[in-house]
Formats: sequence, C-alpha cells, structure tokens
Amino acid sequence: MPQFKIHHVTRYTYEVPVRDSANQIILFPVKDEFQTVLKQDLTITGEPAVDIYKDYYGNEVGSFMFADAHTELKIDSKIEVVTQPRPLPTDSVPKEEQWNSLQAIRSQVPFIDFLKQESCDVVDEIKRDTQVGQYLKVTPLTAAQKLNEYVYQEFQYIKGVTSVETTPDEIWKLKAGVCQDFAHILLVMLRMTGIPARYVSGYICPNHNGMRGEGATHAWVEAYIPNYGWLGLDPTNNCFVKDLHVRLAVGRSFSDCSPVKGTYKGTSNHSLEVGVSVSYEDGHVQDDHATVLTAQPNTNGLQKSDENSYRRYLEMIQQQQ
Amino acid sequence: MQATELLRNYYVDTNTWDEMYRDSSVREQYQRVVAFMQQLDLEELNKKEELAKRLFMSQGITFTVYSSGEGIEKIFPFDIIPRIITATEWDHIEKGIKQRLSALNLFLKDVYHNQFILKDGVVPIEMIYSCPHYLREMYNLPVPYDLYVHIAGIDLIRNNDGSFYILEDNLRTPSGVSYMLENREITKRIFPDLLPQNNVRSVIEYPNILHKNLVSLSPRQIANPTIVLLTPGIYNSAYFEHTTLARLMGVELVEGRDLVVDNHRVYMKTTFGLQQVDVIYRRVDDEFLDPLTFNPNSVLGVSGIMNAYRKGNVAIVNAVGNGVADDKAIYCYVPDMIRYYLNEEPILKNVPTYRLDNPEHREYVFNNITNMVVKKTNESGGYGMLMGNNTSDEEIREYCAAIKKDPRQFIAQPIISLSSAPCYMQGKLQPRRVDLRPYALCGPDGIEIVPGGLTRVALREGSLVVNSSQGGGSKDTWVLSA
Repeated sequence: MPQFKIHHVTRYTYEVPVRDSANQIILFPVKDEFQTVLKQDLTITGEPAVDIYKDYYGNEVGSFMFADAHTELKIDSKIEVVTQPRPLPTDSVPKEEQWNSLQAIRSQVPFIDFLKQESCDVVDEIKRDTQVGQYLKVTPLTAAQKLNEYVYQEFQYIKGVTSVETTPDEIWKLKAGVCQDFAHILLVMLRMTGIPARYVSGYICPNHNGMRGEGATHAWVEAYIPNYGWLGLDPTNNCFVKDLHVRLAVGRSFSDCSPVKGTYKGTSNHSLEVGVSVSYEDGHVQDDHATVLTAQPNTNGLQKSDENSYRRYLEMIQQQQ
Repeated sequence: MQATELLRNYYVDTNTWDEMYRDSSVREQYQRVVAFMQQLDLEELNKKEELAKRLFMSQGITFTVYSSGEGIEKIFPFDIIPRIITATEWDHIEKGIKQRLSALNLFLKDVYHNQFILKDGVVPIEMIYSCPHYLREMYNLPVPYDLYVHIAGIDLIRNNDGSFYILEDNLRTPSGVSYMLENREITKRIFPDLLPQNNVRSVIEYPNILHKNLVSLSPRQIANPTIVLLTPGIYNSAYFEHTTLARLMGVELVEGRDLVVDNHRVYMKTTFGLQQVDVIYRRVDDEFLDPLTFNPNSVLGVSGIMNAYRKGNVAIVNAVGNGVADDKAIYCYVPDMIRYYLNEEPILKNVPTYRLDNPEHREYVFNNITNMVVKKTNESGGYGMLMGNNTSDEEIREYCAAIKKDPRQFIAQPIISLSSAPCYMQGKLQPRRVDLRPYALCGPDGIEIVPGGLTRVALREGSLVVNSSQGGGSKDTWVLSA
C-alpha cells in the first residue's frame, strides 16, 4: 500500500504581457478502490476560480480563466495519494470464449470508442509487420502482454523527436518517441486485434530511479481483458501496472487527457516548463524535481523573437500546450 | 407581345409536378396572379423585374458563392413570380414539421443523456458513435428547457405526384431566412396590390418571435438580457443575413474577438467596459466555436465558451452538438424516431435513402448510379455531391472509389424530379425546379413556423440543384389564408 506525495508544476512565461487566457486542466487523480486521494493542493497564478466537472469518460476536468494581463501562468499541484496493488488476471477461461466475449461487446458503450482507430493509415502495415495472426491464437491477456513487449523492444525511447501532435503514422515510421508515443502505438495494435484499449495519463512513482517517464507526466495504456476489466500496460517500461502508477485520466488518446492546455491572446512567444517530483512515505525522499523545471518545446514552432513589435502585439489566439 | 402570350408559351414537362399549371389550366391558387399578369404588358413586367434587381443591388442582398470568383458580395438571384402554397398544403407541412422537430429534439436530449433509443436498438450505436458531430463534450450537459433545436430550416421537395417529402433537416445554423423576409419586401414594392388581394399570410413576425425566444433563454432573470449574434465575419456566405437579423431584432452583431470568457461568464467588450452576455445566437459552426475545447486553430470562436455554457451562465442557440441529428445517414432513422418518441406515424415522408455502409445498399447504388444522387453525410450547401445522371464515367469511378474507402460518410437517394414553378426569364415564363425551406422556431412555449419560407430555384434549365451555394436563386413564397 504505497503512499506518494507528487508535486507537479507547469509554468508558462511570456515575453510581453498576454491576456484573455482560458485553460483546462486534467490533474485530479482518479478516485476508486485502487487509488485514494488524501490531499490535493492546487495553486494557480491569480487565484482564479476553478470549476470542476466530470467529462464523458468520467475524468474530473477543471477549467479556469485569467483575463487580466499577465506574464506568467503557474499551475502548481501537490497531491498525496495511496495506491493498492491489483492482482493480475488469472486467464483461466478458454481463449475462444474470451475472444468471443470481446466480439460481443464491440458495439457497446463504452467499448465502441476504444476500438475505433483514430486517423491511422498504417494499420495494414502494422498488421503485416507484427504478424497480427499470431496474437489471435493466444488469449487476449497474452496478446496484450506480447504487444506491450513488442512496442518496448521495437521502439527507441528518445526525448525531443516527437511532440504532442505526433500521429501514430509518424511514430510508426520513426520507431521512436516518448511514453505518449509508445502508448499511442500500443493503442493502435490492441485495437487492431479487437481488444478495447484506452489511453491513460498520470504519474509513475518508482521507489528507485531508473524507470522511464519520471520527472514529467507519464502515459500508458489500459486494455480490456474479459472477466477482469481494464488492465494497465506500460509499454515504455514493459510492465503491467501495479501500484507504482497514479492515474489522472483515461480517454481515446492524448487529446482527451491533455493534463494542461489553454489559449490566450497576445504574443506567440511563450516558454513552457514542466516539473514533476515524487516522494515517499516510507522515508525515501527524492529531490523535489518540481522546483527544477524542464523547458518544453514550443509547439508553435516559433522559437525566435519577432522583431516586429506590431506583429507581436497582433491579437492572435495562441495555443499553449 | 402581351403577357398573355408569354403564359401561353409556358411548357411543362409531363413527368413533373408544376406549381402553377395542371393539364394546361392554371391552378386555383395562381389564378389571381395570372389574371394580373394578363392585364400587364411586357414592358411593365420588364420594368418590375428591373426594379427588383435594383432594389437587391441597392440594399446589398448578397449570398457568397465561394467558387464563383465573383467576390463576397454576389447578389442573391431573385425571381419576381411568387411561389404559392395553399392553406391546405401549408396545414399539412406545418403539422409534419412540428412533429418531426419534436422528435428530433427528444432524440438530441436522449443521445446526450440516457441513450434509451440506442439501448433499444432503434438507432444503431455505430451510427451515432461514428458521426463526427456527436460531441462527447455535450454528454450530460444541461441545456435550458431541454431545447436543442431553436431554429430549423427543413428542406422539402415535391415529387411528380405532388406530395411533399423531407429532403434534409437543417438543425445547426440554417441560413436563408433573411431572404424570405427581403423577398417579401421586394414583392410589396413591385406588386403592392397583389398581396392583400390574395390573402397572403405575413412573414414579418419572424424576427420578433426569434427575439422573444432568445430572451426566454436568458440565464439571468433580468429585464433586458444581453443577446448577441455571433458571426464568423464578412467572408461568411451568409454575412448579409447575420447583419439583417441583428438589425431586425435590435441585438448586437459580434465576432469572436469581441467576446471574452472570464470566471465562467461570457462578456462583450464595449466602449464602456465588459458587459455580460446572456444569450448567443451563433452562426459559427461547433468546430470553431471554442478553440479551447474544439479546433484549437479557430480564430472565429471564443475560448472557454463551452465552460460558461456548461455552468449555465450563457445560452447558445442552436445548441452545440445538433449535427448528430441532421447527419444525412441518421436522417434515415427520423421516421423511426417519430414512432419511438411520439408513438405517431410520420406526417411527412422521407426520400428513400440508401446508406452506403450497408453492403447491399451499396451494391444496389453502384448498379444504378446514373439514377442516383450521392451526398456526403456531413456536408451541406450541395458541396461534395454527385448527380449520377449528369457526371462522366471517370468522375463516377473516382467518386465510387472514395465511397469504398469510407462508406459511412455517404448516402444515396434516387434522383427525384423536383416540382417546377414559373420563372420570368429573358422575357418569357419558363419552368424551373424549386424546393421549399420553411423556418421553424422552437421556444419554451412550443414550435412556431412562420407561414412562408424560402423557395430556392435551380436557375439552369433542367437542373435539379437548387442550393444557393451552387448558384441557385429564390422566390417570394406565399402561403394563402384559408
């Protein structure tokens, strides 16, 4: 029954004051029998009112606005959460029966959303290269595990080669990326075999350094296993999800779960820094990395300061993600 | 040549229902108009047509045809001869539309809440979940009075037996109502005596009814709620209409950049500071409405507006997410919705429709493609449409390949021979194909349909495409009192 303290800081800074900022945050841990939230402190620049509602997938989503001129927007979230280990599926039911039961739920809510491939042109290529037939000859659990391993082995973990907008097609060609890309590719593979699969965003909290995905938000996948339910698979670390992952949200893909996103009016030049740190109740304390923020690539692709002040002040709605 | 001559030369295709002529005699509802024409000489008629053209030009009644290359201020073509609908015909249309809209509104409430109709298998779940306009953001979001469709422009056509069919349900941002109003104003100028002589019902109430309904949706119970009309701006094809409706209702015409969301409320930027907005009649599509929630590249919308909407701090008209109910494939199920929700038989018929995701339907359509019109399920304005009788084999082959790639996005209908109505063109009366789009307004007190509508005309001889976006014109539409 591990207990974690997670500190997650997101900071946008702008060259010149911006305004009319509207934001959406999905930073509230899932509350269920495997995850208990003891405490959450959320501090946001300007102390705007945060409205929280449950979205279609059951995630708690917060929204807030910051209309006054500002040069910094910092979202500081501190949570204390307890996770429970969950036994793995026993996988005792004959495989035909399991595949049949997956077939039977294809057109049901919510599975229908988690079986539909999202704008992926390379599905046929992936089917061929992974020899999809072999996965249908084993149980869904074994298939899911093998595909998880496939992604771990065939894809290189490289930071900075992809962005939040990278599509599965591009990831497949690159054969590289970060946790989010690994998750997106595994989603395509599970869905092509007929296993409902959903994207999960959250944090990874290993007790020792060495797991990929630390120091930032993490992403993995949940596969629907008959007679069991949603099983967490982490293709970035080639493991099942037990009690070292803290879940924030589930969805069809990253865009349903984006932890922080927003728009504002003003200069296109902003920088985004993110830091996530985890400490433990068992006495093992890591440095609070959240105080050491890591600069994130600007998705606008505008790195250079625009010398034209007029253009700089043009009221373009800018995206921040 | 006397005008009588020009009536005599009127040629009606035997396979087509003509609104004016039957068995070479004039239908009763047109007799007064014909008698009037007969006492005019051609020169007078030409003068009247010229006057109508000038009025359209001087008042700037435009509709942009994006592909025409004529710029954004293209005059909307108008034909001076009215289209006349009898009281009996109107009664039937009115009942049918009211019934249909009641069911469609219940359907929208249902798909965004309990989904009874999906659980009972009346509409297949796949149909809904594969529709790009089924917005999960609207799930469980409460809307005032459970009203989703506040304004509908339902397209009707008339087959060769004279019966009316529903062609499309336009439940998102139907346009054209300003032309209904302007066409009537022009008729008043050019034929001032004809309207009272014929007991034509008035359409002038439309802006008042719409305004009354918008006020009733205000979340703040105050005497003068702030109502705005949100337009995408001057490049939108219907910008003329946006300005006209805002003027007639006395509400502010705004663009996305004039609004801001703060503390989950929508404000309008005025010279006196921020003013809270209560009701937004938006003519911006869902996708562009909120860059925070939907298309992040949109500069037409207002960031955070969905959050204000969800909190009930602002009403949006029409509701967001209505596209799932006027999707052309889901259209096939509207008669079933009427039976399911209302326990009634549909008053107005659907046009037979083949869903191309159904392999049997697809094969049938491919084998009979020259008698079919194929449409994209999520396009409007006649864009992306294939008329099988009028297309080269090469284009048909390409189109069929596109269908096979994503069949859910297409439907096909047999080409229906639309009814014809007389148009005054080049000094002659000529039959041209027409449809009818009446405008229905749904408020907390029920559904009201202004007696009239927009009759759209296919200006080319023999053409069956009436869409204004494809260069179609229009006529004043008269509904006669009983």
